[in-house]
Amino acid sequence: MIPRSAAPSPAVLGRGSDPRDGADPQRVLADRVEQLYSQMPLGIVATLAIGGIATYELWDQRTRDLVLFWWGLVLLVTAARAALYFGYRSSKDKLPEAAQWLRWLGISALANGVNWGFAGAVFFPSHTDEQQVFLAFLLAGIASAGIPTYAASWPMFALYAGAIVLPFTYVLGTFGNRLFAEIAVLVPVFWAANVAIAYRLNQVFYSGYRLRHAYGRLTEDYTALNKRLEQQLVELDEAQRQVEASGRKLALFAERAPIAVLELDAEGRIQQINHAAENLFGWTSNELVEKNAPVKFLIRPEFHADFDAQWQQLIASRAPVAHLRIGNSRRDGLEVVCEWNVTPLVNTEGGVVGVIAQGQDITRQLEAEQLKKEFTSTLSHELRTPLTSIIGSLQLINSGVLGELDNDVAELIGVAERNSQRLLDLINDILDIEKIESGKLTLEPELLTLDELVGESLVLNKGFAERFQVRYEPRGTLLPVQVMADRKRLLQVMTNLLSNAAKFSPAGEAVEVSMDDLGMRVRIGVHDHGPGIPENFRSRIFGRFAQADSSATRLKGGTGLGLAICKRLIELMDGRIGYADREGGGTVFFFELPKHTAA
Amino acid sequence: MPAQPLNRICYVEDDEDIQKIVRMALERIGKMTVEVIGDPMLAIEAIKAFKPELVMLDWMMPGMDGPTLFRKMKEVPEVRDLPVVFITAKASQRELNELRALGAAGTISKPFSPKDLPVQLRAIWQSLP
Repeated sequence: MIPRSAAPSPAVLGRGSDPRDGADPQRVLADRVEQLYSQMPLGIVATLAIGGIATYELWDQRTRDLVLFWWGLVLLVTAARAALYFGYRSSKDKLPEAAQWLRWLGISALANGVNWGFAGAVFFPSHTDEQQVFLAFLLAGIASAGIPTYAASWPMFALYAGAIVLPFTYVLGTFGNRLFAEIAVLVPVFWAANVAIAYRLNQVFYSGYRLRHAYGRLTEDYTALNKRLEQQLVELDEAQRQVEASGRKLALFAERAPIAVLELDAEGRIQQINHAAENLFGWTSNELVEKNAPVKFLIRPEFHADFDAQWQQLIASRAPVAHLRIGNSRRDGLEVVCEWNVTPLVNTEGGVVGVIAQGQDITRQLEAEQLKKEFTSTLSHELRTPLTSIIGSLQLINSGVLGELDNDVAELIGVAERNSQRLLDLINDILDIEKIESGKLTLEPELLTLDELVGESLVLNKGFAERFQVRYEPRGTLLPVQVMADRKRLLQVMTNLLSNAAKFSPAGEAVEVSMDDLGMRVRIGVHDHGPGIPENFRSRIFGRFAQADSSATRLKGGTGLGLAICKRLIELMDGRIGYADREGGGTVFFFELPKHTAA
Repeated sequence: MPAQPLNRICYVEDDEDIQKIVRMALERIGKMTVEVIGDPMLAIEAIKAFKPELVMLDWMMPGMDGPTLFRKMKEVPEVRDLPVVFITAKASQRELNELRALGAAGTISKPFSPKDLPVQLRAIWQSLP
């Protein structure tokens, strides 16, 4: 079980030695820009207030125009700064365009500084000593006020303060006064000291913002991680439930399965067997496990060598083996033959950890197969021989060589002959179907010219046509198409289709045989004028012992196996067989064969 | 094609009913002279004595089957050149082909039509070199 409240380890959360490195630089920059802009209203108000006072104090007749010009400049730059401020506030792209906003602010700071620098440079020399003190005090204050205002960007402060003190320093240095010259030396030092302070302050701000973002990100990560863990735990729980459920199901399947299931270890020792296996072998699962019995204990000695070879191959290949026939021995000494499906259980490293064997007692099935074989053989030889005598005798009598027969006698002899023939057909059909289904029928394909073969089949079946008073006729031209097929079997198919058509056509009608070239294949059709095929019979027309109407069998003969045999024969020749309703009533039975192409 | 028409035939067959039918068919319908031999073990001597123009052999017979008898005939100078036709109820096409390869003149499958039997035999006779 996995602990539910596992604390995330620092190793998972840590992104390096300095947690501040986790901060997104763009966000940190945007925060700094925000801080700088937040100082702007105060700066603007202070500029206007101080600028107003300065204008008032510096006012006299001599420099009136210059002061007015300066005051106008202050108002202009301040208006521009205010516009910048409102532009920033209403912007929607503060984060992605933080660098741009920073640049604009830098320009505005420079412009502001230049304003004050202008005031120092222009008004200092022209005014009285008191006014000079006022101006020097004013500039020092204005420059210092820049430290908190531009604390989030020390270069901006340096630019701003530099613009204020540089012209002033120049004026002081060139005034021709020793004291002023000394101050001119000190001013840049103060400026540098202030820039240094601003730089330190800037670092503190910067670090603070980075920490804030790094922490924010960590918190987000942590929350996401927790959420994911939670989700995984839920999924794990569900998976475990499913595994347990399918495990129970599997165990149930094995336990209740009608086939014997043996669980073996990799050495072939029995670990467990199911009910069906207990019934099959007569041993309980516990008895076999207590004996520490190898599976060979259940195998007849004469099969041990075979088993060993199979087992070695199974362990080596780790591939399942199906339909393994092995002679097993039961507790009561009876010998049975079982068919096994053996599946090795392989762990993730590819090693065999066990083997599952599923088996079925096929002793009876084998006996039945043998019986069937013997029966078929008996049917073939022992039934045909007497039928040869019966049919032969009846035919001889019927032929008239022994003298003319009384009409009634001739009719009865005819009945006997036809029915003997029917019996023989049935035997032949059963033997055919048996041969086909057991895979023992081998075709002997030869190159056949179809129009000749069809013509021959019409001649051979003439007797049928006469009996049912119909005519066999070719429909259109028969094509000299060549196919590779078994001649005897193809004639058998033709005979079946022709005799069926004759049986189901009304007397006096024609049964037509057509041939169509379908490109790669050729189609032979037999068209009858019969009643058509009843709807409910269509699905099983090619099945065994299929007769639409069982009274037809008595009336017309036929075994009900003919079409089943035709279908299998045609399929063995790589063809297909089918039927369609004939226009104007009746049915067309057709089959298609691949044309022979000279390779 | 042999010069004279087919007339004298030996038929080796253990089943008495079929013997009768074949004899009747060949004699009454085919107007031939027929010697029926029931025991394959005595067949070669009987054939030598009867001097037929053609021999018909059943396939399945107790004691000795048709193909074995056929091979034995090949070892006896007086009968080795006689044309032999097999009448058989089983025989896969492969086995029939084998017999033809051994030199059998033809095969007729059981059950046969007695009415057509003389015609079939004469057709085989006429196809001989």
